[in-house]
Parts: sequence; structure tokens; C-alpha cells
Amino acid sequence: MTWEQLGGNLIQGLILGGVYGMATMGLSLIFGVLRVVNVGHGAFVMVGAFVAFWLFTALGLTPIAAIPAALVVGMALGFLFFYSVMRRLVGAPELTSLLATFAMGIILEEVVKLIFGTEFRGYNWDVGKMDLSVTVLPLAKLYAFIGSVAIAALLYFWFNRTRAGTAVRSVVEDSEGARVCGVNVGWVYALSFALGIGLTVTSGVLLTMFIPVGINPYMGGVYTLKAFVIAVLGGLASPYGAFFAGVIFGLIENGSYSLFALVPGLEPFAMTRFLSFAILLLILLIRPTGLLGTK
Amino acid sequence: MRSKISAVVLGLLLVAALSWSAEAGAPAKVVIGHPVCLSGKFAKEGSQASWGIKACIKWINEVHGGVKIAGKRVPLEYKFYDSESKKEVVTSLIERLVRIDKVHGIIAPYSSGLTITGAPVAERYRAIYMSHGGASNRIFQQGYRYAVQILSPATLYQAGTLDMLHKVDPGARRIALAFEDGEFARMVMRGAEEHAKGLGYKIVFKRTYPKKVTDLTPLLSDLRAAKPDIILGGGHFQDGQLFARQMADLDINVKALSLIVAVTLPAFYDALGAKAEGLIGPAQWEFGVKYNPAEAKKLGLEWFGPTNEEFVKLAMEFSGGKRPDYHAAEAGAAPLVFVKAVEEAGSLDPDKIREAFGKLHLMTFFGEFKIDPDTGLQVGHSMVVVQWQGGKKVIVWPPAAATGKLYYPMPTFAEKAKGKKAIPK
Amino acid sequence: MTRGATKYLPLLPVYLIYLVLFLVAEGMPGMWQLMAMLVFYCAVGQAFNIFLGMTGYVNFGYVAFLALGTYGMALSIYHFHQLPLGVGIVLLGLLLAVVMAVLLALMVGAVALRLGGAYFAIATIGVNEGFRYLIEGTKIWGGSEGIIFSKQLLDTFGREVANKLSTFWADVSVLIIAALAALITLHFIRGKTGYALMALREDEEAAKVMGINVTKYKLIAFVTSAALAGLIGAMAWGLKLTYVFPPEAFDISYTVEGIIIVMLGGAGTLLGPVVGGLLYGLAKYWLTVILPGFQLLIFAPIIIVVVVAFPEGIVGMLRQRLKGTPFEPFVL
Repeated sequence: MTWEQLGGNLIQGLILGGVYGMATMGLSLIFGVLRVVNVGHGAFVMVGAFVAFWLFTALGLTPIAAIPAALVVGMALGFLFFYSVMRRLVGAPELTSLLATFAMGIILEEVVKLIFGTEFRGYNWDVGKMDLSVTVLPLAKLYAFIGSVAIAALLYFWFNRTRAGTAVRSVVEDSEGARVCGVNVGWVYALSFALGIGLTVTSGVLLTMFIPVGINPYMGGVYTLKAFVIAVLGGLASPYGAFFAGVIFGLIENGSYSLFALVPGLEPFAMTRFLSFAILLLILLIRPTGLLGTK
Repeated sequence: MRSKISAVVLGLLLVAALSWSAEAGAPAKVVIGHPVCLSGKFAKEGSQASWGIKACIKWINEVHGGVKIAGKRVPLEYKFYDSESKKEVVTSLIERLVRIDKVHGIIAPYSSGLTITGAPVAERYRAIYMSHGGASNRIFQQGYRYAVQILSPATLYQAGTLDMLHKVDPGARRIALAFEDGEFARMVMRGAEEHAKGLGYKIVFKRTYPKKVTDLTPLLSDLRAAKPDIILGGGHFQDGQLFARQMADLDINVKALSLIVAVTLPAFYDALGAKAEGLIGPAQWEFGVKYNPAEAKKLGLEWFGPTNEEFVKLAMEFSGGKRPDYHAAEAGAAPLVFVKAVEEAGSLDPDKIREAFGKLHLMTFFGEFKIDPDTGLQVGHSMVVVQWQGGKKVIVWPPAAATGKLYYPMPTFAEKAKGKKAIPK
Repeated sequence: MTRGATKYLPLLPVYLIYLVLFLVAEGMPGMWQLMAMLVFYCAVGQAFNIFLGMTGYVNFGYVAFLALGTYGMALSIYHFHQLPLGVGIVLLGLLLAVVMAVLLALMVGAVALRLGGAYFAIATIGVNEGFRYLIEGTKIWGGSEGIIFSKQLLDTFGREVANKLSTFWADVSVLIIAALAALITLHFIRGKTGYALMALREDEEAAKVMGINVTKYKLIAFVTSAALAGLIGAMAWGLKLTYVFPPEAFDISYTVEGIIIVMLGGAGTLLGPVVGGLLYGLAKYWLTVILPGFQLLIFAPIIIVVVVAFPEGIVGMLRQRLKGTPFEPFVL
């Protein structure tokens, strides 16, 4: 390993980490408001990937244009699933909500399979590259990162400066208190779930800008697991925590590769995966509210 | 006179008796069972397999006229259930196929893992067990009596590629190996490493990456630093696309890049476009491969089954117009060699069929078939090497099967982005 | 009837079901493997239920214990087949399976059982994935290539016995393990552990205040559940399939199947996981036969309907209906 390689890996990790972080915000938002872990998370990421793929190949629209489209699709799906299923599961035992969200994921995967088949797909949106001497950075990746940061910032603004956002925040902090203060808690639940799903589907678009291949109905499982680790790192109930935890996760994943590669007899790549889950457990052991948690 | 009559009568009786016993000995039909993976993680490979099998069974029944057994021709039937790519389901379906549907031979489910899963049950009920998607050599080191391998074993996947590159450019000595971390790809890597060392290559990089990997950047930047001439790698579909795509993203250029499995599929070029130009990959079979009755005759082998064109046409009847890939071909070869073995054995007794399998050496549209009589390991079939040239897959190795010449070295990714195609002059 | 005997009445329907399964398997050709699959699902449900059903905590890394059990059997046969142990090698495998599963359970329990429900679920997923990558990354136990031990089994026992072990005795053992799990479940439900866990499930804080050592009882249930899973893994995946590959052994979908079975039948009940396992296994099998390729699309909405409309499961509902009838003591 050289310093150049480590530097290159860290830059790539930072960019990817930002996208990972954005891809986890929806999960954290839903948990923060509804106290439900969305085990079907990855399936929604997959839907976003297909939105980007389909818009690009069928209509020639760039992934940038796919971002609002994905948000709309995602929020529609979110409202649909909320009013059909999730509404009944608020406050239910973990067992019930975990199983229900998992089943939602399966339904999405199977429906997409019926429409698009099981082929692995990809698209080519080539907009040039930047040579950073330690590594080469395609601009599409950079745009994905910028998009992620922008969405995180918009969400921050929405939470703090708008009425709806403030209502959501008050429910996160104290749902009974919010109810007393006249907040329509049922609507906040619906809106938060839809927004959470919307963000997750949107993140699918951004992820394909980073990795525009391997798009398949069953591609989401990996992202569910990554999102869990990142969400816990960020405190599970905090969307911004999740964003910054994503960046940290990306840096750790890529940085540790270079270090593990120095140890003979190890498979560095598998070890980076091991490390991420070891960190997960360590965080839960010493600081269950997350690395960036407040409590 | 009297003796003549009695001789005739006796003869007639004998013929009658013989034909009667033949009548009793001949089954009404021969059935092949298959716990096919139509859903779950091997849904793609499984669907392809079912098209190939249906195509070849149709050929047996309509062109060959059925299975010739005990002097009669009886139809061949295909009985299948979806095993969801899951091991619990595989064992119970194999038992159902043998005990309730009374099939005479079984085509194993896709993948080495599921093939091993079903093997003990097939062994217990003495059922011929044909592996069309279990490439692992280890399956055939376990001492199974009824297991027969149709496709080339994993250790031979990259042998042809290395032979070819060695011949084309003896000066390129530095090889990097970067395979998926799994039983199949590691077996391929081991075979490739040994073969490369035998040819005098220098292994400058050897790493693996986990299944379902989503970002290969850290591995690839280390790989770049090792400055290889040739990269051999891959594992399955998704990681292969990712591998090529991120090579392009990081602008890593080598003289030859060979990825197993992914490269051979049309979806690879669809997903990557021009970035796929010049990439090579080993394939069990490829559309347009030159195996034909004349080629068989040259090698002194018997030809059996449909020609390549016939096979593709038949398979497309079942696939809804999709073109069959090598998963269809390797599975389709199974009923062909099975029928041949049954006809040679003249019986449906599994031990006799297995014995006949051991002696079989023939050529089908899928290539040569010959197994090691003791273990069932495939030793006759050889891999072909394909290369993407101008958006088309061209068979470049072995010379006997080739439809074109290798484009070497591979154009750089920058050249490809400017529209350069890997078409040899 | 004495009180001691009535205590065991609820076992009757469970064992009756197992007996019927065994008789069908033995008597009808081609049914053995199907019955084995059903028993496997019942056993997994029961083992899972002891922790998940009784505490309400979701162990999403449950399959890791099955995997460790499989490795226990694989390591025993692969490495020690030359020792003159005879069938003892299988017993050694079982022992290894239980010990490894229990050790992991103790470690995980110490960390994760202090956490709330959602955190616990995620932590256990982390254990499952982490353990798998540890095996692959450090290349212990065959690394990503796993262990295939058909040959060692054949060499040790000969073809006949090896086949019989894989296709008969392994399945019978799972049935015995399932029966054992039922006994343990009953013992827990009717004993101190059950009361403590029931109090915990209703209100963990209140249980603590009442002076119940919550962590102790959670750990007891967790370790028991893990040990049973280890045994099931050793037999149903180890001895039966004669190989272990890490990505398959740690496949999270089995955890989900376990949850579905427990929920379907009725969490925390004795009969529930058995009914759930039967229904789930049969549905899966028949959908496979009649509608290949569409099982999951049919299953998923059913799961949602079940968890939303009947959270107490089939046996939970049945118990309500049977209250005050002569059947009441049989259904638990």
C-alpha cells in the first residue's frame, strides 16, 4: 500500500459514504417517527434504481431528472403502504412491524420481477471524469455526492423552517405532547412514512449514479444491511445522524481495506465487511444512542 | 416337413415370446425429472435451463422419434417443479420425482451447492443425477455413484484463455487474479493459477471480493498498482458488470481482461455498452459455435442431437423469443446424453445407464461429452473463449470452434469512449 | 387425574401431529422428504419460539445458530473421521454444535440482551453477517469455500449406512429434537421462567420493579433457543446435506421463515409453532408444485394480512375459542 492508494480510497469512500448516508436517512426518519424498522428498505432502493434505469433507457432522461420522479414515486408508494398496512401497525410489537415491512419488500421485488425480469441491467450516463492523480473520479459520482448533500440540506431546512417539518419533529420528540398541542399525529405518521420511503427511493437513483450496473429486483438486500449499520452508527432515530454516519461508514469501509491488505493471510474485502458489523456491535455495547447521538 | 413346421411354429412362438417380453420390458414413456430453480436467486439460470431442456426433449420426440428402448420407441417426458433455489425444497422434490412421478433420471438444480444438496437423496433412490450447473470439481470427489457432470469443471474455466493469450503474446507475463469469494469462483481461480504457473506466468496480484459486492474501488486501485498485463477475474453476473464498469471509471487499462460468467451474457453489453468492447470470457457454449456433424466426423466421434441452429430455434419456441445462452445449452445437453446412455444400456436400470454413461464419448451441439467412468467428472467438454467485438460476441478460441480472431490488446477505456471498437482488421 | 399428568396434556396434540407425520413418512412412498421438511420447519419454529415467542424480542440473527450447528457437525466429521469413534462421531458433532451455539449465544446475549427491541433485532443481524464475514475473511473452517464432507461420511460408514444417516436418521433426529423442544417449551411456560418472561413481555420495567431478574430469564430463553437451533442445524443441514457453504448457512431468509412460522401459529404458545410450521411448509410445497415462480408474490400479502388481522396467531385464536370447553387443557 502507498499513501496515494490510501488517499484515493478515502476520497472514493467519502463520495460513496455521502450517498450511503442519504440512502439511510429514510430508514432513520421512519424509525424516528413510527418506531418501526423498515426491513424492506432495500426493496425501495431497488425501485429507485429501476426508476433511474427506465427513465434513462426508455425516455432518455438523465438521472438528475429522475430524482424528483423517484421522490414522487416513492412518496406515492409510501402513502399506499401506510394507509393499507402501516397505519394499523403503529405501536404494535416489533415482531409484527418487522414482518410486515419485510413482506412489503417482497411484494415490491416480485412485482418488479414480473415487469422487468431478473436480468441485471445498467445504463451509461457518461459525463466525463476528473483526474485527481491519486484516483480517477467520474463526474456522475461527484454529482451523486452533491445531490445527496443537497437533499440532506433540504431536509434539514424542511424540518426546521416549515410547519409540517416542525410538526414531524415534535412527534419524534414527544408524540403525546404533540397531540396535546394540536398536531394531527395520524397525518404526521403518514407524511413521515411517505417521505421516508420517498427519500429511500430517491437514494436508489443516486446509488445508480455511483454504480450504474447490476440493477436487478433482488439488488436491495445488501443496502438494507448497510443501512442498518449506518443507521445505528447515527443513532437510529436521527436522519442527519444517519447522513454523517454514512460518510464515516464509507471512509471506514474503504480506508480499512488498505490496512487489512497489509495483513498476510486475510481476505481484506471480507474483513472490511466484518469490521463494519463489529463496529455495529461495539456501538451498541458502549453507546446505543449512536456515535452522534445526543442522549 | 413336420420338423420344418414345428421349427416355424417354434420360431414364431419364440418371436412372439420375445416381442411379448419386449412389450413388458418397454415402458410407455421415459421421464426426466428436474427440481428447476424458477424463482429465487437462480431464477435466471433456471429459466434458461428449462428452455434448453424442453427444446432438446422436443427434438428427441419429434426428430429422433422418441427413446429407442427394448425395440420400441417411446416418448421422453419432462417433469419439473420449481425448487425456489432452496435446499429444503430440492430434497423433497427429488424424492417426489423419483417416488411419485417415477422419473428415470434427474437433472440436478442449478449451482454446486444445490447439486450437492440433492445428491444424497438421488443416491439413496439410485437415480441418475446429471449436473448441468454444478461446476465444482469437489462434487465428483465425494464418491457419488450416480452423479454425472455435463459441463466443464470449474478448474478448467480459464485454461483456454491462458493458452490463447500465451500463444498470442508470450511477452505479457504479469497476471492479476481477482475473483469473487465463493466456492465456484475460488475453484476457477485455483485452476487458473495452476495453469498460469505451468505456462510460466507471474502472478502479481491475487485477491477476492465478497459476494454481492457493491463497490470494488479499493480492490481495483490496489490492482492498478500491481501493473498487470492480464486480469482474470469475476464470479457471477452482477459483480462482473461492476468489475468492468469500475475498471472504466478508474481508467485502469490492461492488455486483456477476462471475466467469468458475466461477460458471456447479452445483458453485459446492454448494461455496459462500448465499455464492454474487447473484454473476453470463457463460456461453456456460445451461439454459433462450430460444433457440427462434420467436425465430429473429423474427430472420429458420433454426433447426436440437434445442430446449433436447430437447438436455438427450438429453445426460442419455449423462451418466448429470448435467445438461449449457455445455461440453456448445458442443461439441454443433459436429456440428449441421457437418452443416448439409455439407448446404449438398452435398459432403464440406473446401474446399467450409469455404466453406459461411463463409456459414452460423443459430440452434441454443446460440444464433446466424456466423463471419467469412476467419478462422473466431465473430461471431454472444453470451454470456448468469447470476445465482445463491435457489440457482437465472437468465439475466438479454441481454433476448432472459433468464428473469428482475437482483438489484442484490448482498446483502452479512453479509446472506447471515443467509439473505438475491438474489431480485428 | 393428578395435577402432574394434566400439566402434560398440552403435549398430546403436539406429539400426535409428530406421530402422524412420522407414520405418513414411513407409510407413503415419496413422502419422507416432504415430511422431513415439515418437521424441520416445526422444529425451527419451536426452537425460535422459546426465545422470540416468549420474550417478544426478535433475534434476526437466529440463523447464525443453525449455521454454527451445521459447522459443528461438519468439523467433527471432516476432521475426526479417522478416529475410531463409529457413530460416536455424529454425537461428537452434536456436542460441538451445541457448545458452539451456546458460546455464541452467551456472548451475544451479554451484549445485546440489554438493548431495546429494535436495537436488539439489528444487533443480531450484525452478529449473523459479521460472523459470516469473519469466516470468509480469516479463511477458517474452509473460508468461503465451506466444507463438503460426503466423502468422509462415506469412508467412515460405507455407502449404505452413510446414505441411511443422511436420508433417514438425520430426519428422525430432527423429529426427536422437535419433540424435545416441545417438552422444554412446556416446562418453561408452566414454570418460573414462563411467568417471569410473561411479566417481561407485558411490561419490562414493571417486571424489573417487581424484583424479577429480567436479564437472567431472557438469557436462559436465548441460550436454550440457540442450543436447540444448533442441534437442528447439525442434523437438518449438517448430517443431511453433508456440506456447508457460508453464504447459504448464514442466509437471513431462514430467520424470516422462522418468524413467519411463529407468528402464523401463535407466538408464545406450545402448539403454535407446530401448526405454523405445518401450514407454512405445506403451503410452500404446494405453491411450488402448482404455481412455480409465484410463491413469494402470493405469500407476502398473506403474511401482511396475518400479522395485521390476527396478531395472536392461529393457536392464540383457538385458545380463546376453546376457553371453558373440555378441549381447553389440551391447547397451550
